[in-house]
Amino acid sequence: MSFALDGVGLTHANGFTALSDITLRANKGERIALIGPSGAGKTSLLSVLGTALAPTAGVAEILDFGQNLRLTAGLKALRPRIGTIHQAPPIPGRQRVVTAVLAGKLGQWPAWKSLASLLYPLDVAGARATLERLDLADKLFARCDQLSGGQLQRVGIARVLYQQAELILADEPVSALDPALALATARQLAADAEARGATLVASLHAVDLALNCFPRIVGIKAGRIAFDLPAGEVSEALLHDLYASEGQTLPTLANEPRFTTLAAANDPATRAACC
Amino acid sequence: MLLNPAPPRDPAARGRLSGALLALVILWPLFRAAEFKPGALFDSSNLKVIGHFLAGFLPPERGAEFLAYLGKATLETLAIATAGLALACVIAVPLGYLATAAGREQPTLNPLTRSLLTVLRGIPELVWALLFVRIFGLGPAAGVLALGLTYGGMLAKVYAEILESVDPAPAHALRRSGAGRLLAILYGLLPQASKELASYTVYRWECAIRASVVMGFVGAGGLGQLMDQAMKMLNGGEAASILLTFMLLVFAADGVSGWLRRALDTPPAARASPFGWRSISFLLVLPSAVIASFHWLEIDFGELFTAGAAHSIGEFVAGFFPPDLSSDWLARVGLGIWETLAISVVGTLLAAVAGLLLALPKWRAPFSFLLNTLRSVPELVWATITALAVGLGPFAGALALALHTTGVLGRLYAEALDNAPAAPGHALRLAGAPAGLSFLYGTLPGAAPQLIAYTLYRWEMNIRMAAILGFVGAGGLGQLLYFELSLFHHAQASTVIIAMLILSIAVDQTSAWLRQRLR
Repeated sequence: MSFALDGVGLTHANGFTALSDITLRANKGERIALIGPSGAGKTSLLSVLGTALAPTAGVAEILDFGQNLRLTAGLKALRPRIGTIHQAPPIPGRQRVVTAVLAGKLGQWPAWKSLASLLYPLDVAGARATLERLDLADKLFARCDQLSGGQLQRVGIARVLYQQAELILADEPVSALDPALALATARQLAADAEARGATLVASLHAVDLALNCFPRIVGIKAGRIAFDLPAGEVSEALLHDLYASEGQTLPTLANEPRFTTLAAANDPATRAACC
Repeated sequence: MLLNPAPPRDPAARGRLSGALLALVILWPLFRAAEFKPGALFDSSNLKVIGHFLAGFLPPERGAEFLAYLGKATLETLAIATAGLALACVIAVPLGYLATAAGREQPTLNPLTRSLLTVLRGIPELVWALLFVRIFGLGPAAGVLALGLTYGGMLAKVYAEILESVDPAPAHALRRSGAGRLLAILYGLLPQASKELASYTVYRWECAIRASVVMGFVGAGGLGQLMDQAMKMLNGGEAASILLTFMLLVFAADGVSGWLRRALDTPPAARASPFGWRSISFLLVLPSAVIASFHWLEIDFGELFTAGAAHSIGEFVAGFFPPDLSSDWLARVGLGIWETLAISVVGTLLAAVAGLLLALPKWRAPFSFLLNTLRSVPELVWATITALAVGLGPFAGALALALHTTGVLGRLYAEALDNAPAAPGHALRLAGAPAGLSFLYGTLPGAAPQLIAYTLYRWEMNIRMAAILGFVGAGGLGQLLYFELSLFHHAQASTVIIAMLILSIAVDQTSAWLRQRLR
């Protein structure tokens, strides 16, 4: 088991309830997409899984770790095993790409190595190999404030790939990328998780991308789980119901021909090509 | 998968290494010249002297007679600072307007105004004060004029830079729709810059309080004169009372600055007049404070502009020309320049390290009081104490600079670290990085440009301060100047003043270049 949430609720200090009664389990190696309208609670759910926020109700067990205990020593051991891709890449502009990627291992490296790496990057080869998979190897020594938004987002992904986490949490990981690159990057992320047997949970705005790259789809609406189904069983009616507040059209990557119909998107051949 | 050739070397490594080596080659002789000997701090005989002196601090002097003196001197100091700053503003607003490129369609600098500002700023206020004391006699007039000139130059430069640093688009749009430059600045730039301008002005007022304290050392009245007497008689109790008064003044200035910033942040009320109770009371208090200050100090500026005064000024100034350029004297001045540079660099570097340590988030709370205390005592007063601790000489000067600058930089660093984006450090913590490393990899890079800029700006101020620390025996150019002026060797003094000017211009240029390079 990778994580198990049992009746988890999250109420912020200001009284706003972001999550209520979430029960969700994932086995090691599963790939789950979270979809739902904005404000539904996708980011909150990822924050609970990433130990950034402690649930205010229920029990959360993450990587066999009872999170509600909040033991600092335990968290210290747990956190290097969780990699989070943030929607806005949390990388200082003046940092170089190589340093930003290597920072993924700060929780695993001994302190001397992390300190020395500030003076001379100690694993240039590893950082470059990771960046190569995201088509960014040429930016290895560039400064992050020289990158475009899409490139920076991929640096954030590269950091988590380099971290080799057992549980990868991704919050809108490809929102700043154009459709073709978004698809390729989501595939890369899924392929990495599959190859290492890591669990991947990603919140995605584009429904077609979610259906294409993730075997399991969890729909979230108003802080609750609306449905939790294999991608093949997600019907158009369910989706329209989920996004009822956002109008008639479903959010998709773009109006590219192969993504226009959900039927085609659900086609096993397409999915095989994707993941 | 592509072929995977050997990983490339870090292309920046060579530059970093040579930069570090170069810094070492430059810093090593500077540390030598500053006679950097931390051991002297722990020398038993020095410890005994300073311990004895500090023990005398307790209890602070509370005699009614002394307190009456202290109250009068405090008022005098406040009045000198307020009157000096008012004069500075009168000078700074038009000069800043002329010097700034803000609101100009083609950003042309005004080289004439800029170089005038450089001369005004480049000569330390204490030197101006020393000269004015010679012209106008002992008393607060010399202090007010000296403050007005130096701070006028500083304020004008900073006003110009603040106006240039805000988003120019609103002013450009106004100009293109036909508004004049002044109106374009008032409507387009001032709303963005007002907070910064106000808090810098209040900060300068705080500095003016410290400076007017220092000017007492050359006979311009106020708390400084009292402090000078107390130190000369090694009267620790009186010194302690005076130091406590400094701190109160500086904390009060802090409070005013915070209140002003909050007031400027308050959204306007829903009525046509932009003036609320705060602005009206402020507009009433400010002019009355300025008028009261001039009145209290009994400065009659009319007297300064009579024919007799002009004649004596002319005679005095003529005495400074031509400067003594004999090779003997130039060699001594050159040595003084090198020593002054060493004091400023060593003092600033020590302060940067100590300030950063004290500004670290984890330790902040207990140390903010320490930082405020360090900051509220002027460098020259610290120098009289460090001279007791390590003996006369450049190291005492460097230590004094370091103590005061630690207080200033620590506070600025703490603010910069607070304002740096929190997300990168937080994300690293979530990925399991220890707190210290998340700081180094996540928070520090975001704050670094700010930290570097603050340090370099401070260095520009410290070079001016280092030039006058010699007045109390801390070596460098100040010692030469003080000595020659007291012997009425005006030609030699003139060389030293020119050297101070050149040194401060050179440091300004170096600092601007370093800021550009390290951005």
